[in-house]
Amino acid sequence: MTLPAWLRWSWVLPAAFLAVFLAYPLATLVRTIASSAGGFAADLVDTSLWQVAGLAVLQALASTLLALLIGLPLANVATRYRYRGRALVQALVTVPFVLPTVVVALAVRSLLGPGMPQGLALVVIAHAYVNLAVVTRIVGSQWAQQTGELELVARTLGASRWRAFVDVTLPGLRPSIITSAAVVFVFSFSSLGIVLLLGDATTRTLESQVLRQVSVLLDFPGAAASAIVQLVVVSLVLLLGAVASRGQSSRRRRPVPLHPLPTLPGPRLAVLGTAAFGSAIVLLPIIALVLASLRGPAGWTLDWWASLGSVDAGTTRLAPPSAALATSLGYAAVTALVAALVGGAAALAILVPGRARVIAVIGMVPLGVSAATLGLGTLLAFGRPPFDLRGTGLLVPVAHALVAVPLVIAVVTPALRGTDPRLAALAATLGARASRAFWTAHGPVLRVAMVASAALAGAVSLGEFGAAAFLARTDSPTVPVQIVRLLGRPGDQSVGVAAALAVVLVVVTLLLVLLIDRWGSTRTSRRSAVAA
Amino acid sequence: MTPRLSVVDLSLGYEGQVFMRGIDLEVGSGEIVAVLGPSGSGKSTLLGEITGVLPVPHGHVLVDGRDVTTAPIQERGVGLLFQEPLLFPHLDVAANIAYGLRRHGWDRRRATARAHELLNWLGLDGYGPRRPDQLSGGQAQRVALARALAPQPAVLGLDEPFSALDADLRRRLAVEVAAVLRESGVAAIHVTHDAEEAQAIADRVIELPSLGSPA
Repeated sequence: MTLPAWLRWSWVLPAAFLAVFLAYPLATLVRTIASSAGGFAADLVDTSLWQVAGLAVLQALASTLLALLIGLPLANVATRYRYRGRALVQALVTVPFVLPTVVVALAVRSLLGPGMPQGLALVVIAHAYVNLAVVTRIVGSQWAQQTGELELVARTLGASRWRAFVDVTLPGLRPSIITSAAVVFVFSFSSLGIVLLLGDATTRTLESQVLRQVSVLLDFPGAAASAIVQLVVVSLVLLLGAVASRGQSSRRRRPVPLHPLPTLPGPRLAVLGTAAFGSAIVLLPIIALVLASLRGPAGWTLDWWASLGSVDAGTTRLAPPSAALATSLGYAAVTALVAALVGGAAALAILVPGRARVIAVIGMVPLGVSAATLGLGTLLAFGRPPFDLRGTGLLVPVAHALVAVPLVIAVVTPALRGTDPRLAALAATLGARASRAFWTAHGPVLRVAMVASAALAGAVSLGEFGAAAFLARTDSPTVPVQIVRLLGRPGDQSVGVAAALAVVLVVVTLLLVLLIDRWGSTRTSRRSAVAA
Repeated sequence: MTPRLSVVDLSLGYEGQVFMRGIDLEVGSGEIVAVLGPSGSGKSTLLGEITGVLPVPHGHVLVDGRDVTTAPIQERGVGLLFQEPLLFPHLDVAANIAYGLRRHGWDRRRATARAHELLNWLGLDGYGPRRPDQLSGGQAQRVALARALAPQPAVLGLDEPFSALDADLRRRLAVEVAAVLRESGVAAIHVTHDAEEAQAIADRVIELPSLGSPA
């Protein structure tokens, strides 16, 4: 296929963006460490740093284990069996993952808080809750490919149902279990919002340590040391996960029909019970959150909702809590635009033979850098002269765009690759020039994917807390930052208003995700109908 | 002599719907019975009910005179050979063959030694350490046969096991497998839609519609 000449230069925009807003801040971070001379070495051997790291590892392991324990049976029933309401179960399981972590923390606290003190258990439960979708989706997609014939063979050879699961099913799922475990571990190890809201003095992560070192102790070299240790651990785990999950079979990608429900009452009840249990797990914290926004010390009330518009209820003394919503929506719009442009250009660059792999890998780098590291680096690089951008309101959306660019690439690239290359060739044989032929073939898909990924980037921005905690201005917090600040204050009103704000964020985020889903699928099905 | 497999007044059904009744069938030791019928005629359902994969709506399945109608799959003494070899991809060839023996209480060393004997018997000496993806289609199906026969099942169900192979290999392998089955003393029930293949290897060929009456 002849590609238009300009496509060869589409790497410039993402490369420049990543160089300025990722490489430069990270370099500034390293320079800050280096300039503290002996300080950094002293920070690195500081026992408290390793203590926090050790506790964070234990916490992340527990979170991963719990997510797998609940997620594996859910993956089985959500992706392999045919029953009424399966699509709903699948959609519900995804919900916690798209919710902002701060909202999840508050929802879990609203449900379990009265009976369970803040600390490790609550943090682990919240992490497992968010990551149910990771386990269910990643393992489920591989499990759905299994026809069950291998297990059947094992059983005709004398294996019990459980033995066949251990001997045949589990080894077949190993790559996806390892991949999802690595993702959950990294998420839990570098978690911030959940740890801040649900942890106690001993439940810290390096991410929360970085925030504390920067905002309370003003210890930049110490924060940098924590950030670097975290970066190393996260990279190691992701690398180990990638190596250990090699052999993820791409051979068998034919659609496997769903299994009918088991005929025996026991197994049948187990499938339906697991589906109901999974749905309840997802819904209960959200219901508890809604109730928390409607309950005061004296019973049911709409006071907290009314307080959303009251300056007195806010944390800035200048604007009501609802002002944070306008701030967040504004940031989300800029993030959507920047991330779609940069990520879209990177996805186009991946189409060019020769440098596809390099661009794809570089574009994914921001995923490995934690939000707090990103926030700290950006603050050090652009929060003071000579490049002081604090007054421009651009720092938050730029950091959010960095977080969202890998997602945009992940959405747009397969869409572009899925286009039949013969279409462009066909257009060329009909007289279209290279550019025209390219747009004829890829344009429609690109438009759908770009809009969907822009909305996704917006949703990410709405819920992002880590980078915003560093970069949002004190007088104009984002919604997640506002929620955390409210919860830091004593009193029922603060919790009630935070819950109301969180409910608004849930609704806006779900609407956005629903919109992406509906719009994307309508466009795609219309296109396939035309193609057929 | 008691037949190794007896099917008595069996109904065929799927997801609660019965579509054939009154099936009676007996298969003796070393005998190969081919059940012939077009796709959708219920051949695979018959095999599913014999192996225990599908519940039996009505009637009985007896293996060596023992009623196994409601017994779990692993306790029936019925093996299966599918269209595809379905070798466990994470185990080598010898471990695949030894799998059933291990589930029947053999220790690892004995089971592996027996696996190598079976490989030898099927002309696959030295293939034990290979991985399933290093085998050709015919070799993989031979290994699957060795694996199915290793625990010495009373009955072996063959669900069109040669249909994924090319015509020449299919003919050769079918003859070879038939000889192995007769020698092993297993009662084989071979479902297929290929009349020529059925005639080539079976001692008896039965057309499925003639076995029972439509529900």
